[in-house]
Amino acid sequence: MKNKILFSILIFLITFLQNSCSSKKISQKIIVASSGKIESLDPARASTLKAIQLISSLGDTLYELNSEGDLIPELASEMPIFSKDKLKITINLRKNIFFHDGTKFNSNSIKFTFDRFKRIGTMNYILGNKIKSIETPSEHKVIINLNKPSSSINGLLTSVNLTPISPTFYEEYKNKFLNEKFVGTGKYVLKSFSNEKQLITPNLKYWGEKPLNEGINFVGYSNSSSLFGALKSKQIDVLLSNSIDDSQRSTLNYLSKNNKFKEGNSPFTELSFISLRTNIYPLDNRNLRLALAKSLNRKLISEKVSYGLRKPSRSIIPPILKKENQGLWPKYDYSEARALLQKEEYCNGNILRIPLTYRSNVPADKLIALTWKEEVKNTLNDCIDIQLNGVESTTVYKNLSSGIYTAVILDWTGAYSDPEAYLTPLLSCNEIVEGICKKGESVYSGSFWGSMKVENLFLESENIEGKKRLDKLLEIEKIASESIPYIPIWISSQKAWSQNKISKPIFNGAGIISLSDLKVINE
Amino acid sequence: MSRNLNKLFNYSLLKISLIPLMLWIISSLVFILLRVAPGDPVDAILGSGANEFSREMLRNKLGLNESLINQYFSYINDILHLNFGLSLSTQEKVLNIILKSLPASLELGFFSIISAMLIGFPLGFLGLRNKGKKTDYFVRIFGIVSYAIPPFWGAMVTQLLFSVYLNISPIGGRFPIFQQQPQITGFIVLDSILSNNIVALKDGLYHLALPSITLGFLLSGIFSRSLRVNLDKSLKSDYVNAAFCRGISRKKIIINHALPNALLPIVTISGLTIATLAGGTLLFEVTFSWPGIALRLHEAISQRDYTLVQGIVIFTSLLIVSLNLFVDILIAYLDPRIDY
Repeated sequence: MKNKILFSILIFLITFLQNSCSSKKISQKIIVASSGKIESLDPARASTLKAIQLISSLGDTLYELNSEGDLIPELASEMPIFSKDKLKITINLRKNIFFHDGTKFNSNSIKFTFDRFKRIGTMNYILGNKIKSIETPSEHKVIINLNKPSSSINGLLTSVNLTPISPTFYEEYKNKFLNEKFVGTGKYVLKSFSNEKQLITPNLKYWGEKPLNEGINFVGYSNSSSLFGALKSKQIDVLLSNSIDDSQRSTLNYLSKNNKFKEGNSPFTELSFISLRTNIYPLDNRNLRLALAKSLNRKLISEKVSYGLRKPSRSIIPPILKKENQGLWPKYDYSEARALLQKEEYCNGNILRIPLTYRSNVPADKLIALTWKEEVKNTLNDCIDIQLNGVESTTVYKNLSSGIYTAVILDWTGAYSDPEAYLTPLLSCNEIVEGICKKGESVYSGSFWGSMKVENLFLESENIEGKKRLDKLLEIEKIASESIPYIPIWISSQKAWSQNKISKPIFNGAGIISLSDLKVINE
Repeated sequence: MSRNLNKLFNYSLLKISLIPLMLWIISSLVFILLRVAPGDPVDAILGSGANEFSREMLRNKLGLNESLINQYFSYINDILHLNFGLSLSTQEKVLNIILKSLPASLELGFFSIISAMLIGFPLGFLGLRNKGKKTDYFVRIFGIVSYAIPPFWGAMVTQLLFSVYLNISPIGGRFPIFQQQPQITGFIVLDSILSNNIVALKDGLYHLALPSITLGFLLSGIFSRSLRVNLDKSLKSDYVNAAFCRGISRKKIIINHALPNALLPIVTISGLTIATLAGGTLLFEVTFSWPGIALRLHEAISQRDYTLVQGIVIFTSLLIVSLNLFVDILIAYLDPRIDY
C-alpha cells in the first residue's frame, strides 16, 4: 500500500515537471540574458551596459558608429556641419519621425533631451562645459553652440545617454528621472518593465528597417554560473558577456568553435591598466616606472587569466579608434627592467617593494595581480617584491584621488567612441606644478601625472579634425608612454553567444549589440 | 485562568515594550557600520570616471555632505515617521522596494519550511521507530549532513544537476521570462489561485519547486533531529509509562501525549527558522536569481545604497523581532512550566 502511494506521488511529480517543462516553448520571442538588473531606463541615468543596450533598441541617437568606427546619421539626415570657427554645429534632422507616444520628433525634442541631460544626467560630466546652448531655428534643424571648439563632439552625438525622448511624455520628468518607462523613436517599443525582466516588441510605425524578430525578452540573472547554465541548457537564446567569468567565456568560446553556439564580438574597447602614483617616492622615479612596465608580461597574463581572449595592449587608445594597432608603451623585457633597477641601485639585496592594489570584487584583477607577482618572482626576485592588497572597487574609486595607492589595477571604457574619451580621463590636468597634477582628471585616475605639453596638444586637437587630429592625439599618447604614468595591460571586447537556431549576434562600433538583427533561423 | 491570562498579557506587554529599544540599537548600529565602511554611494553610482564637480553635485543631491550627526538625527526622525526614505541609487521609495521584494522571500521561506517539515518529520519518526538500527543511523547522519551543507553550495549543486544536466527545472527567477505574472498581493502562488490562473499557478510552482525543495532539504535535518530527540525524551517520561500501564495504544500515546510535548521545542525552532527565512537567505537567493529581499540587500550593499540597506535591515529586524515575540508568547501560553 505504502509503495503504491509513493509510486503515485512519484508519477505525479514527474508529470508535473514534464508539463511545466513543456510550457517554455510557447513564446517565439528571443530571450536575451545578461547579469544583474536594470535599475533605470532613463537615458539621463543609464550607466550600465545592459541599460544602454536596451535603450539603444528603444531609441535612436542622432548618429551611430558602425563596426568600422565611422559616423552614420541616424535621426540626423546628414553629417554635422561645423562653422568656420568650429563653435557652431548645424544638424539637419530627418522628417516624419514619431515617438512611441505618437508625438512628432523635431528639433525641440533634441533641445529638451540635451538640456535635461545637462541638468540631471548622472553622467553629465561627459558634456563638461562643451555645449553652451542649443538653438532650434526650424522644426528640423538644430544648432549646437559650443563654448570652445571640440572635435570630440562627434563622438558625443552617438552617446546613448543623449537618445532623444518625447518632450510631451517626459514633461513631468524634466527635472527628475523616469525609471520604468521609455518613449523614444526606436525600432522597439517597451511592452513591460521590471528590474529583472523587460519585454520589447517591434515598433510597427518605425521609420527605418523593421526588426527581424517578433520581440525580445530581456532577463537578468544574478550570477555568472546561472547565465552559463541557462545558455548551456538552452533556457535562453542569447547571452551577453558582461561580467561572465573568464573560465566560462573560454568554455563558450571553445563550444562556439565547435559549432555548439554562435559567438559575436564587439570591437575591443575596454582597457585594463595599472595606474602608477607618480607624485611620491618610489614611483616618482621614471626609471622605476619604466622597469615596472618592462616587467609586465602581458602575453602571459592574457593566456593565464583570460585564456587568451583579452588582447594584450601597449596602447590606451583602442585599436578601432586609431585605425591601426600600434603599441607605444614599453614592451616586456625583464633584462632591461633589471638593468634599469640596477641603475637605480636596486637588486643585489636592495629590493624595490611595490604595493599593488587590486579590486577584490573583480576576479580578473586578482588573477592579473597574482600572475604579475609570480612572474616577477621568477625573473626579478632579487629586485622587485610586489605586495598585493585587495580592496573593494567602490573603496578604490573613493580613495584614488587621495593618492593612497602606489599602484592600482583599473579599467576604463570611453563614454563615447573617440580617442579623447580615453586620453582625457587618464591624462588631462587642470593645474600642473613641476610635472605633478594637483587638480584634474589624472588625479582621479590615481596617477597625479601632468604635462603642459600634453595640455597644449589637447587644446590644439580641439581645432582640427580627421587624420590631423588623430595624429595630435597619438602624439599625446606617445608623450605619456615615455613618461609611463600607467601600464596598459589588455583590451577586451564584449561578447555575445546565441543558440544555433538564432542568428549570430552583431555589435556596432560602440560595443552595442544590434538586437533588431537577431532572428530565429530554424522555425 | 483569568489570572494566568493577565500574567500572559503583562508578559507580552513587557516583551513588546522592548521592541523599540531593540530597533533603535539595530538602526543605530546599521547607520554607524555603513558610514564606517569604506567607499561611498557616489563612487558606486558614478564609477571612477566622474570629475570632482559631478561627485560634489551628486553628494549634495543625496544629502551626503551633511554632518554625520545631522544625517543620523534626520534618519532616526524619518524612521519614527515610518519613512525609510528614497533609495540613493534609484530614487525609488525604500518601502516600495521592500514591499516589492518581500513576498518573493516570504513565499520561498514558506514553501521551504513546508518542504523541510515534510522531509524532516517522517525521517524523525522513522529514525525513532528503528532506534539503534541502520535506518536510525542513516537518519541521524542525514540530519547532521543536511544541516552542515552550506546552502549556497547545495543550491549550486541542485541547480547544476536539475537545471543544467537534467534540464527539468528553470535555472533561476520566479516566473517564466515570456509571461506576465499575476499581480495582486505579490505572492505568485496565492495570486494565481485568486485570479483562477492555473497556468500561472503551475509556472509559479515550477519555478518555486527547486529552490524551496533544496532549501527545505537543507533545513529538514534540524526538524528530523529535534523531533527524534524530543519525542524520544517524551516517550521515556513517567506520564507515558503511566499511559502504557493503563493499556492505551502506542499510537494514541504518541499522538495525544508524547507528540504535543515533543513539539514544543520544535515550535521554537520553527519560529526562529521562519524568522530567519523571512529576511531571505542571501546566497541562496543570489544563486537562484530569486528576486527576494536578500538579493536586493546584496545589491544595495555593493552599491553602498545606505538608505536601502538601512531600510531592509530595519524592516527585517522588525519582522524577526515580531516573529520571535509571537513564538515567545505562544510557548508561554502552551507550556505551563514557563513562569512569566
